[in-house]
Amino acid sequence: MPYQCLAILLSLLLAVQPVAGLASTRPDLTLTQALGKSYEELFDLAPGLGFTQSHIDAHRKHLERARDTCIDEYKDAAKSYNRQLRDAQAELRRRTARLNDEERHELHCRIQNLRKMEQQAELLANHAIPTAFDNKLAKLELVEKWPAELRKIEAEIAAEKHYERRYGDVRDIGLRNIRSGQQDDIKRGHEAVQQMKMMGMMPPEMDNPAVVQYVNDLSQKIAAASDLQVPLQVTILNSKEINAFALPGGYIFIQRGLLEAAETEAQLAGVIAHEIAHMTGRHGHRLMRRATIAGILYQAAQIAALIFTGGVAGIGTYYALQYGFYGLGLVLSLDLLGVSRDFEREADQLGVQYAWNAGIDPRGFTEFFSLMASRFGYVAGLSWFRTHPPFYDRMVESQREMMFLPPKDSLVRTTTAFEEMKRALEDVTKKAEADEKQRPSLLSPVEDCPEPDLPRYKPGDPIENLCPAILEAP
Amino acid sequence: MIRILIWILLAILLLPTPLMPIEPLVERSVYLTVEDGDRLIGGLTEENFRVSENGESRDFRLEEPELPVMITLLVEHSRMAAWYWDDITQSLSSFVRSAPDGHWYSLVTYAQTIEVASDFTRNRAEILDAWNRLGQPMWREVNTYDAIYETAEKLQLIGGRHVVVLIGSGIDTFSRRTLGEAQRKVEATGATIFGIGAGSALRGRLEMYLGTNARMELLRAQAFLQMLADKTGGQAFFPRFVTAFPNVMRSVLLMVGHQYRLIYDSQPRLDRPFQVLEVEAFVIEDDRRKDFTVRVRDGWREE
Repeated sequence: MPYQCLAILLSLLLAVQPVAGLASTRPDLTLTQALGKSYEELFDLAPGLGFTQSHIDAHRKHLERARDTCIDEYKDAAKSYNRQLRDAQAELRRRTARLNDEERHELHCRIQNLRKMEQQAELLANHAIPTAFDNKLAKLELVEKWPAELRKIEAEIAAEKHYERRYGDVRDIGLRNIRSGQQDDIKRGHEAVQQMKMMGMMPPEMDNPAVVQYVNDLSQKIAAASDLQVPLQVTILNSKEINAFALPGGYIFIQRGLLEAAETEAQLAGVIAHEIAHMTGRHGHRLMRRATIAGILYQAAQIAALIFTGGVAGIGTYYALQYGFYGLGLVLSLDLLGVSRDFEREADQLGVQYAWNAGIDPRGFTEFFSLMASRFGYVAGLSWFRTHPPFYDRMVESQREMMFLPPKDSLVRTTTAFEEMKRALEDVTKKAEADEKQRPSLLSPVEDCPEPDLPRYKPGDPIENLCPAILEAP
Repeated sequence: MIRILIWILLAILLLPTPLMPIEPLVERSVYLTVEDGDRLIGGLTEENFRVSENGESRDFRLEEPELPVMITLLVEHSRMAAWYWDDITQSLSSFVRSAPDGHWYSLVTYAQTIEVASDFTRNRAEILDAWNRLGQPMWREVNTYDAIYETAEKLQLIGGRHVVVLIGSGIDTFSRRTLGEAQRKVEATGATIFGIGAGSALRGRLEMYLGTNARMELLRAQAFLQMLADKTGGQAFFPRFVTAFPNVMRSVLLMVGHQYRLIYDSQPRLDRPFQVLEVEAFVIEDDRRKDFTVRVRDGWREE
């Protein structure tokens, strides 16, 4: 009997183990709490967390279930709004001759709000929720794999094997040859810029001298500490998209949204260094050559502008690439996207090196990634997930590269010049926002309507607010 | 007694207007272009115009055109459009390339239903971006009448100066609204509509092989686009070569840039739903009046 009691007790303990197991060897941090931390924090915390594989597996399944439940819930909501919308439109058709002005306005508002609610539900189901869960799963992977990866990196450093890695000669930056023929790209890049301007694909340039001067100085500083052998031409575009892109031959374009999103100089510098690395690696030229080999006729400007830039005009260009560039009657091979992912990895590595060599904290780059993923993930940052290498791999490889770099004493995280630029940028942003308020809309043309009851969620908010199922124990 | 009755009847016949039901004066704003052959005429003043409504002269003044213009590109995106896809993409890309900064641009596509692919934006790149994002058309139906009706309905709710550039074949396959309903809706809105006949180049090549029904269908499509332009003071184009589309789109933008804004005192007659508008433009040269062609909407409909 005592053995039976003990057996029952042990079975019960085993049964509740995953729930109890959420409390790790660090009782103050559950796995759910750990996944609420930023990527940077997790790189520091993960080696000490000590969750077992079964806890992690159970939590992964739990997250996947919660994601599917949550997506279904919002898809159902979208369908329900659509039904209500159709009913309201039918009512409008039926009663249109008999409605007075007030009744018509009320019905117009109801239709407009139902449209908004349907769109919001679809946006949440198709973008916001999957992206938020992608982040959770990537962080879970980090908790699972980083401790072993860290030990491996430390062993490599101890054995001085890291000097043998590709582009491991970081003390020779500026004198080494990443890819010869950078000068040959100048003409092509110039043509691409002209063509894009002519095609109306280029947003207007920013004319605030303080902002332009600061970004130019920072970019030139990084370029001077890189392997770039052509003059750098910096252009700031007055567009709200969080993006920067490089064209072959030393042309770099930075969009206003990126300047607004960056919280420190190191973050901004990380992105600029990444784009400069695309130029030193001649990725535009190499990608186009592969495209030609693959038998895909594609214009130089489009190759250069769209594939590894995030698209001048936005994420739509990525869809165009993934689902075929129908507008031109061309279909781009998905293999090319694989190639572009390799280039991204190379640019990540070189970008980290250039920021470090310029005396800027290279962690800014991964911080910015983290920021993109958590705060801006589901709107502007979507492209980062779709076409770039898997997020976890990219974070880990950048982290590894940072650990391999020789230590430096005073790496800059932010400066007063950056803060001044941000203050100058406020005026530009205010003007742009005022302009945005005047923007007419085909989607919500009816004025003086009550605000619809939309789910209160913006990128970066805890996904638990939308999907309470995630809080249930696995 | 009979003589008195005759005098009364004569008086009624000779002075019909004061007895017709009329509404109080309202100011109406219309946009128009003045042409001499293929030349757009600018720099005219109020002395060069005459305005009449329902056959009666009206007071008017010229004012600065409202800026920015809200330009909606209403573009066919159906499976049927595969036949004349180049016409559509050429038109769209050359329009975006030539369009000046500062105006609001939006892209609405249509097939089975309409989709707002890009809401109004000043960034023209977003229009091309939205177009590229659409991917393969899903529907074979081309509900052009519905598309124009619903777009006009949306624009009615937004104040300001509107231009619609319809890029499509004009063919309608399965609309819920009739041609008449679409026409009445257009008459009730203030937008200027330009029709770009996609498929005209193909039609030119295949004309001789077409059967009677096909010809009738295409003629009806062409007439629809022409009607939209005539009703609203725009113009319809039916280029016979793909290479002509860029020039056509530049012409549209040129016409928008050369529009006059005329505000006249309207006194609509309540006994008719449609108020006929006529505008004459002329100059006096050597004591002789030289008349120009005026592209202006042909009237108004009260809904």
